[in-house]
Amino acid sequence: MLKKLMLALPVVAMMSGTAFAADTYPERSIRFIIGFGAGGNADTVARLLAEPMSKDLGQPVVVESKPGAGGNVASDFVSKSDPDGYTIQLMVGGHAVSAALYNSQPFDPLADFTFLSTIGQFPFFVAAQAGAYENIEDLIAKAKAAPGTIKIGHSGVGSTQNLTGELLDLETGADFIHVPYKGGAAAATALLGGEVDVVIDTGTIMTPQQDAGKFDILAVSSKERWPDKPDVPTLAETVAPGFDVVSWTGVGMPAGVDSAIADKVRASVHAAIADPDVAARIEKLGAKPSPMSGEEMRTMVEQQIETWKKVVESAGIEKR
Amino acid sequence: MIDQFILGLSVVLQPEVLMYAFFGVFLGQVIGVLPGVGAITAISLLLPVTFYLDPTSSVILLAGIYYGSQYGGAIASILLNLPGTPSSVVTCLEGYPLARDGRAGFALLVTALSSFVGSMIGVAVVVMAAIPMATFALKFGAPEYTMLVAIGLVAASLISSGSHLRAFSMALVGIALGMVGSDASTGQYRFVATDALADGISLVSLAMGLFGLSEIIRNAASHEPRKTQIKLTLRDIFPNRAELRSMVKPVGRGATIGAFFGALPGTGAAIASFMAYAFERRISRTPEKFGKGHLPGLCAPEASNNSAAQTSFIPTLTLGVPGDAVMALIIGALILNGIVPGPRLIIDEPELFWGVIASFFVGNIILLVINIPLIGVWVRLLSIPYYRLYPAIVLLICVGVYSHRSSITDVVLTLVFGIVGYVMRRYRFEPAPLLLGFVLGPMLEENFRRTMLLYGGDFSVFVTRPISATLVFCGAALLAFTIGSAIVSHRKALKDKNTQGGPYSV
Repeated sequence: MLKKLMLALPVVAMMSGTAFAADTYPERSIRFIIGFGAGGNADTVARLLAEPMSKDLGQPVVVESKPGAGGNVASDFVSKSDPDGYTIQLMVGGHAVSAALYNSQPFDPLADFTFLSTIGQFPFFVAAQAGAYENIEDLIAKAKAAPGTIKIGHSGVGSTQNLTGELLDLETGADFIHVPYKGGAAAATALLGGEVDVVIDTGTIMTPQQDAGKFDILAVSSKERWPDKPDVPTLAETVAPGFDVVSWTGVGMPAGVDSAIADKVRASVHAAIADPDVAARIEKLGAKPSPMSGEEMRTMVEQQIETWKKVVESAGIEKR
Repeated sequence: MIDQFILGLSVVLQPEVLMYAFFGVFLGQVIGVLPGVGAITAISLLLPVTFYLDPTSSVILLAGIYYGSQYGGAIASILLNLPGTPSSVVTCLEGYPLARDGRAGFALLVTALSSFVGSMIGVAVVVMAAIPMATFALKFGAPEYTMLVAIGLVAASLISSGSHLRAFSMALVGIALGMVGSDASTGQYRFVATDALADGISLVSLAMGLFGLSEIIRNAASHEPRKTQIKLTLRDIFPNRAELRSMVKPVGRGATIGAFFGALPGTGAAIASFMAYAFERRISRTPEKFGKGHLPGLCAPEASNNSAAQTSFIPTLTLGVPGDAVMALIIGALILNGIVPGPRLIIDEPELFWGVIASFFVGNIILLVINIPLIGVWVRLLSIPYYRLYPAIVLLICVGVYSHRSSITDVVLTLVFGIVGYVMRRYRFEPAPLLLGFVLGPMLEENFRRTMLLYGGDFSVFVTRPISATLVFCGAALLAFTIGSAIVSHRKALKDKNTQGGPYSV
C-alpha cells in the first residue's frame, strides 16, 4: 500500500505541477529555436516575433539558431526537448518537404510536435524574361512541344521551389530541365543573364525585377489569386487544375505540451501578428499574416507531406 | 556622375548619418579583429535595430560593418597569424613573418594604407562603372565560372614557397574536404558522418585551425623569443620611399583583381585576395622572397579584398541580386524598411543609392584615421608574454568559431585542424593551397555540373562562348607556363645538386 502510494506520488506531483505551471507560465526565458543561419527569412521572422512576444508573455523570448540539414537539426532538438513550454520552434514549409525527402528522420514530423499556428503564408511565382512568353499557357505549350529544352532555375535541390517546379511537370505533363542554384537570388541572376528560361521563387525576389520591366510574372502557385498581384493568374485556373502550393512560417513545440501553455503561446503569436507594425513587415517579406488553430496547422502539414511524397517519387528525386 | 556623388556626400555628411557610418565601420573593425566572428553575425544581430532607422542610415550602418571588418581582419593575421576573416588568410603569409621580425607596426601601417587605396579604387569603380560592371557580370554563366575557378585552382599551386607538387597535393586535400556535406546537384550527402556535417565543414573553422591554432601549438612547443618594438615613432613604422614605390603597382593590380571578383555574384573578397597574391607571385622576379614578409605579397591581397568588399555592392545595388550572405542581409534590411532593391533603385531612390556609395568613401577615410593611432596599441599587445596571451586567444577562437554557426562540432573540428596544421607545418606542407582548394573545389564542381545540365553534356560550350574561351586560353597558358618553369627549375636544381650536392625539393 505504502509502496503504491509512493509510486503514485510523483504522478500526483507532476499533475499538480503542470496545472500550476500553466498558471504561472512563463517563469523564465523562452528559447525560440530556428533551424537556419542568421540572415535568412526564417531568422528575420523569428526576430520580428520575439520582441512583441517577450512583451506579451513578460519573459524574454530568445532567438537561438541551430542551423543544419535543412532545418532537421533544429527539429530534432526541439522534438527531444522537455515539453514544458520553454522551447518553441520557428517552423517553415521545409518541415513538410524534408519529411518527404529524407529516408529516415530522427523524429516524427507530425507526432513529435505540438503545432501552434502559422505566422505567414506565401506562394511562389513563375517568372520568365520580359516578353519571352505571352502567358503561362504559351510557356506550357512550348515546353510540351519541345520536351527537355526549357530550363527552370530553382533555389536548390529539395527546396520547396524545386518541388513546385517538379509538381508543375507532374500536373501539366510538360518536361522541364530543373537547374539548381544556391538560393533564389542566384537563380534570378541566372534568369537576368538568360542562362535559364524560367524561375520559380517568392515575390520578394520577383517583384523588383517585374517593376523594373526585366521579368514577366506568368503565374502564381496558390489556389486563389494572391492579393498583392490580382492580375497574375493562378496555375490552377490556367494550366494545372487543382494546383495549390503555399509555403509558410509557423510556430511549434515538442509534443506533449500542456494545452493551457500551448494556448497561451498561440494567443501571444496571434497577438503579435495582429500588431499592424509586425503585420506590415510580414507583408513586406512577401507573406500574408495567417493566424491558425493548432489543428488547422497540423492538417495543412499532413496534406503537404502527402503532396511532396508524391512529387519526390514521381520526379525521381533521390532521398537522403 | 560627379553631381550625383556630391548629392550622396550631402546625405552622408549630415551629422546623424555620419554617426551611423562611424559606428558601423568602428564595429566592423572590432568584429574583424576578433577571430572567427564574422560580419554576418554582427549584421544579423543589428538588423532589428535598423527598424528604427531610415533605410539610408540602415544600409550605411550595416555596410560599414562589412567593409570595416575587412580592415580589422588583417590585424590579428599580422600580429598572431590568426586570420580575423577568411579573406585575410593570405595576409598571414607575409604579414606574420614581418611581425616576428619585430616589424609589426610597419606591417600594420602598410596594410592600412593598402586597404585604404584598394577601397578607394573599389569605390571609384562603383561610382563610375556600376552599371556596365553589373551588365558584364551577368554575362558570366556557369561555363565562365567553371573556367574562372579552374584558373584559380591552377593558381592555388602557385601560392607556396615550397614545391609545386606539395602545394598541388594540398589543394587536392582541400578539394576533398570541400566535398563534405550535401552535393549541390543532387542534394545527396557525402562524407556526412554526423548530422552536424550535413552542411559541410566551415571555412572559418578550417582557417582558424590551420593558421591560428597551429601557430599557437608551435609557439607553445618552442621557446624562441619574439622581437617587439614597444616605442614606435611614425618614422619607425612608415615605409621609406623605395618601399612606398614598390607598393604602388601591387596595390593597383590587387585592387583591379579585387574590383573584378567583387562585382561577380558568388565569388567575393576571400577569392579576390588569394588571386591577387597568386598573381603577384607569378609575375614577381623574386618569387623566393615570398613567405618571408615580402611587401608586394602583403599589400596586393589587402588592396584586393578591400576593393572587392566595395564592388560586391554592385550586383546588390544595381540589380537587386545579392552575391553573398552579407549582401542578402543588407537587402533584407532594405525590404523590411519598405524599399525593395532592384534595377530601379538608382532611379527611384537616388539619395539612398548615392548616399550609400558616398558613405563608402567617407567610411574608408574614417577607417584610415582610426587605424593609424591604433597601431601603437596593437603592437603593445605583443609585449605581453605569449604564455599569458594564448589561453585567451584559444578561448577567443572557440567563441568566434561557435558564433559563426552555433555548432559545437565546428569548435571540435577547429581543434582537430589545429593539430593537423601543426603536423603539416612540421613536414613543410603549406595550409594556404589547401584552403584555396577548399573554397574553389565545390564551386568548380557546382558550376561544371550546372554547365553540363544546362548544355546537355556538351563540352564545346567552354570554347564557343567568347568569355569562357578567353578564360580557357588564359588557364592553358598559365598551366603550360607553370609546368614549364617547374621543369626548368627542377633541372636547375638537379644540376646544382650534381655540382654541389645540396638538397633540393621537388
